[in-house]
Amino acid sequence: MDLTAILPELTKGLAAFTWQNAVMIAAACVLIYLAVAKEYEPVLLLPIGFGCLLANIPLSGMTASQGMMGVLYEAGIKSELFPLLIFIGVGAMIDFSPLLSQPRMVLLGAAGQFGIFGTLVLAVLLGFPLNEAASIGVIGAIDGPTSIFVATKLAPELLAPIAVAAYSYMSLIPIIQPPLMRLLTTRKERLIRMEYTPRPISQATLVAFPVVLTLVVGLLVPEATPLISMLMLGNLLKVSGVVERLSKAAQNEIINIATLFLGLTIGATMVGSSFLQPKTLMILLLGLFAFGLDTVAGLLFGKLMAALSGGKINPLIGAAGISAFPMAGRLAARMAADEDYDNFILMHAMGANTAGQLGSVIAGGVLLAVVGKLLGIG
Amino acid sequence: MKYTVKVDRQTFEVEIEDINVRPVIARVDGQVFEVSPETGAVAVSPVPAAAQEPAPSSHSNSSGKVLVSPLPGTVIEVFVRSGESVEAGQVVLIVEAMKMKNSLRSVRNGTVAAVLVSAGQTVAHKQALIEFTE
Repeated sequence: MDLTAILPELTKGLAAFTWQNAVMIAAACVLIYLAVAKEYEPVLLLPIGFGCLLANIPLSGMTASQGMMGVLYEAGIKSELFPLLIFIGVGAMIDFSPLLSQPRMVLLGAAGQFGIFGTLVLAVLLGFPLNEAASIGVIGAIDGPTSIFVATKLAPELLAPIAVAAYSYMSLIPIIQPPLMRLLTTRKERLIRMEYTPRPISQATLVAFPVVLTLVVGLLVPEATPLISMLMLGNLLKVSGVVERLSKAAQNEIINIATLFLGLTIGATMVGSSFLQPKTLMILLLGLFAFGLDTVAGLLFGKLMAALSGGKINPLIGAAGISAFPMAGRLAARMAADEDYDNFILMHAMGANTAGQLGSVIAGGVLLAVVGKLLGIG
Repeated sequence: MKYTVKVDRQTFEVEIEDINVRPVIARVDGQVFEVSPETGAVAVSPVPAAAQEPAPSSHSNSSGKVLVSPLPGTVIEVFVRSGESVEAGQVVLIVEAMKMKNSLRSVRNGTVAAVLVSAGQTVAHKQALIEFTE
C-alpha cells in the first residue's frame, strides 16, 4: 500500500481551500453570531449562515447538482416553490382588517414601492443590464420571497447577493429606518395622534377580499399571480375560520420548513469564488439605496398626506409602506410611542404595512411583466 | 350597584362595583373605600386620593379618570391593583395587538380605583381598562 498516496487524499479538503472560502466562512460566522447573540432575524440568518459555511467547505459535494443543497436549489428555489410556500404562511399571519377599515392606507403601500423603480433607473445608469437592475430594485421593498421570486426569473446569477441583501436589510430595519424617519419628519409631525375609527369589517368582506384580490391582480398582472395567490390563499385559510388546522399548519409547519430550507439553500449559493466579486458589493449598496429610497418615498408621501389631511395623519406610518411585514409597521408605531407614550398608531401603521406587502408583490409582478416582455424572458 | 345605608339616622348612598370581589370597592360621596367584609369592620379604609393631578392632555386616548384601550387586542399583563397609587408615565398594563406588545402607561398621578380587565382577556378599542379615583 502506498502511504504517500493516502496523505494527499486526507488533506485534499485543505488543499482546495481558498482565501475566498476563508472570507465567506468568516461572513457565515458573522451571520450566525448576529442570529445567536443579537437575535437579528435568527430564523433566517441562522440557516443562511450555516448554508454559507457548508458551501465553502471544498469538495463536500453538497452544492453539486446531486448534493443536498443542489437538490434543494432545483426543487425549491429554481422552481420558486419555497418563496411561494412561505407566502402561504405569511398570508395566514396577516390581518388585513386595519387596511380594509382604512382603505386610504393603500396609497402609502404604493408610495413605498417608488424606490424599486428609482433604483432600477440608477442601476441601469451604472451599467447593469435591465434584468439585473430590476432584480436589484426589488430589494428595496425588503420582501425576501418577492425578491427571490423576481431574481430567479430575471437574473438567477444574482440570486445569492440579492437574497442576502433583502434578508439582512430586513434584520437591519430598526437600525436603518429610524435615522431617516427622524431626519424627514418634525417632532410635531411625529406627535400627531391619529383617530382610530375603523369601519366595521364584516366576515363576508374578510373572506371575499383574498378571493377578489387574487382575481383582480391575477387578471391585470398575470405574472404576479403565483405570489399574490399564495399570499391570499394563506389569508383565506385564516379568515374563513373553518380550517383552523390548515391555517395553523401554514403559520407554523409550512412556513417554518420552507424558511429553513430556503435559508439554507440561499446560504449555500454564497460560494466564495462567485460571491466575492465587486458586483456583489455594488448589489448590496444599491439594495441599501433602494431600501432607503423606498423609506424616503413612503415618508414624503406620508408628509403629503399629513399636510392634505390638515395634520390628521402621522407621516411615520409612511415608512411602513415598504413591505417588511410586520417589522416596519411595528417600528413606525414604536417611533411614535417613543415621542409620546400615549400615542398609538399601530393599527394605522399596520394598514400601511399590509398595503406595502401587497404593493411589493404587485410591483414585482409588474417588473416581471414589463422587463420579461422587453427582454423576451419568462 | 347602589345601596342605601342608614347609620345613626344619617342616610348614605353607597356604590359598590362588585360585591364578590375582595376587597370590595365602595364609593360614598365621591370617596372610595376598600372594604374586606370577612375580616371585620376594622378593615374599612379610605383610599387616599391623589392630591394634585396633572390635567390629562385634551386629546389623550383616555379621559383622566378611566384608562381605555387604544387598540383592539389582548391583555397580556396587569401591573397594578386597585388601591395602588401610580405615577404619570408608569406602565400599568400590556396589551398585545397585531402581535406587538404595547405598554400602556398612566397619563396621570393617582390611585387605581378598579382594574376592570385581567390578563388573557380580549379587549375592544376604547374599552375601559383601569379606573382611577377622582
